[in-house]
Amino acid sequence: MAGNSFTRRRAVLLLGLTSVLLITLDLRGSAIVDASRSAFGVLFRPIESATKVVTKPLQTAWSAITHYDSVVNENRRLKDLVAFNQGSMIAAIASVREAQELLALNGLPTLAGIPSCTAQVVGQSPSNYAQTVEINQGTECGIKAGMPVLNAAGLVGKVTHAYNKRAVVMLLTDPGYSLAVKVVNAPPPTTTTVTSPGSNPSGVETTTTTTTPTTTTVPRTTTTLGISGFTPGATTPTTPTTAPTAGAVTTPTGTAGVNQPGQVTRSPITVPAGIDLPLRETGVLEGRGLSKLPIVRFVENQPRFGAVNIGSPVISAGGAISLAPPDIVVGTVSKVVNRTGTLGPILEVKLLADLNNLNFVRILLYQPLTERPR
Amino acid sequence: MIDVLVAFSENRYSRLVLIALLFLALQTTVFSEMRPFGVSLQVMVLLAVSSGLARGSHTGAIAGFIVGLMYDMVLTTPLGLSAAVFAIIGYLSGFVHSFVHESTWWSRVLLGSIASAVGMFLLPIAFTVTGATGVLTTNVFKIAIVVAVFNAMFSVPAELLCRWALREPTVVR
Repeated sequence: MAGNSFTRRRAVLLLGLTSVLLITLDLRGSAIVDASRSAFGVLFRPIESATKVVTKPLQTAWSAITHYDSVVNENRRLKDLVAFNQGSMIAAIASVREAQELLALNGLPTLAGIPSCTAQVVGQSPSNYAQTVEINQGTECGIKAGMPVLNAAGLVGKVTHAYNKRAVVMLLTDPGYSLAVKVVNAPPPTTTTVTSPGSNPSGVETTTTTTTPTTTTVPRTTTTLGISGFTPGATTPTTPTTAPTAGAVTTPTGTAGVNQPGQVTRSPITVPAGIDLPLRETGVLEGRGLSKLPIVRFVENQPRFGAVNIGSPVISAGGAISLAPPDIVVGTVSKVVNRTGTLGPILEVKLLADLNNLNFVRILLYQPLTERPR
Repeated sequence: MIDVLVAFSENRYSRLVLIALLFLALQTTVFSEMRPFGVSLQVMVLLAVSSGLARGSHTGAIAGFIVGLMYDMVLTTPLGLSAAVFAIIGYLSGFVHSFVHESTWWSRVLLGSIASAVGMFLLPIAFTVTGATGVLTTNVFKIAIVVAVFNAMFSVPAELLCRWALREPTVVR
């Protein structure tokens, strides 16, 4: 009996040691582990595919029971969104083309120059502790570990394991995900209207100054508000030609002066943005699990950057050691948590890509330096 | 050739591997999509726990290790991590069950449920030990409760299945 117990204890100990050995081998990136996983995948995929076919009615029934209302609401919302997007898409295409041409003229890299591979998400992670999905393309399509994955909305994650005909994608929300990003602080548009005695019937001339994040609309008559000699939104230093008069009214209504034929004085002139370009701050995006929004920690806090606005876009920063090329849209700032001292604020980022409903994704065949095998 | 096949089918762990393959296929398809309360149900944990309940701590530990290793093969977590955790819960369920005097179906259901919950706590702890961050959160409690309730519901049929798969080879006269 004692001998039997000793054998059992030895067997349990052996299991423990084997586990530790396997974990060590895997963490050190052993090729044997990858090969065994790949071989197991070859054996297991047919069984999995057959099971998927057999259990499809069950899955569909479950989805119908649990998601019916949300799908109906989502469908309504998406119809509205499609109608809205169709209008803005044409203008966006023109802008993107123009931006790509400008980047190409200046010899700067663009996303259009990076080849990509389109894949479909075929499965979620069965684990509760890893935010990964599986896609139906792999090394045969040129996919390698580390490549960024996007969908139509924005960045989704990165490839962590690539096999022949499948790959595993770590989502942005995974706690192990980290990416250099830049936050473009878009100041909110402000419109000021200054009234002064003029030529209109009421005896008051109205001058409107509109400042937007990208363009500045300056009326023929420039005004100074608040600080003398400083024109909000002006691209070049200007000399005020009309001083604000007493009794000037400032209305933050957002309504610009009406353009009417023949009235040149009211026609706004659009000045290309110069010093008023949106400021950028570089930080690190970190996932925090599916139930929490990812956060951005600033690498350094620049006072010039000012307070971060809710809704400011967050895009990939790029760079030699970054996981993704520059200018991939990630999301928008949804919450700003200010910290004391020289520590910059922590930003919560609302991702543009809906990670719960991924279908088709695009893998940029761009392997970062840090992910290349040495 | 036939002798090899007969020997293979007579080996209890080879039968367990075949059942585990089926459970793994269910885990990666239907149970990764069906997520009550946002939690992925863990049938592989159920298999490990049921093995311990059916055939004792020693067999439970080995069966748990095999089941966990197969689960590791499809996960991106370090290979051997789930194997270690499943071996522990397989061993624990069998060990604790050996103290139960005249065990009933409900005592086995209760033990299966508790062992599953323990496994759901051990997994994130093991992930954290190997360097993962952000997995040991309060969400673990929700996961443990949902998995424990689900595994309690199916522990009786799972135990019967494991009892059949892990039975000792019968001597043919």
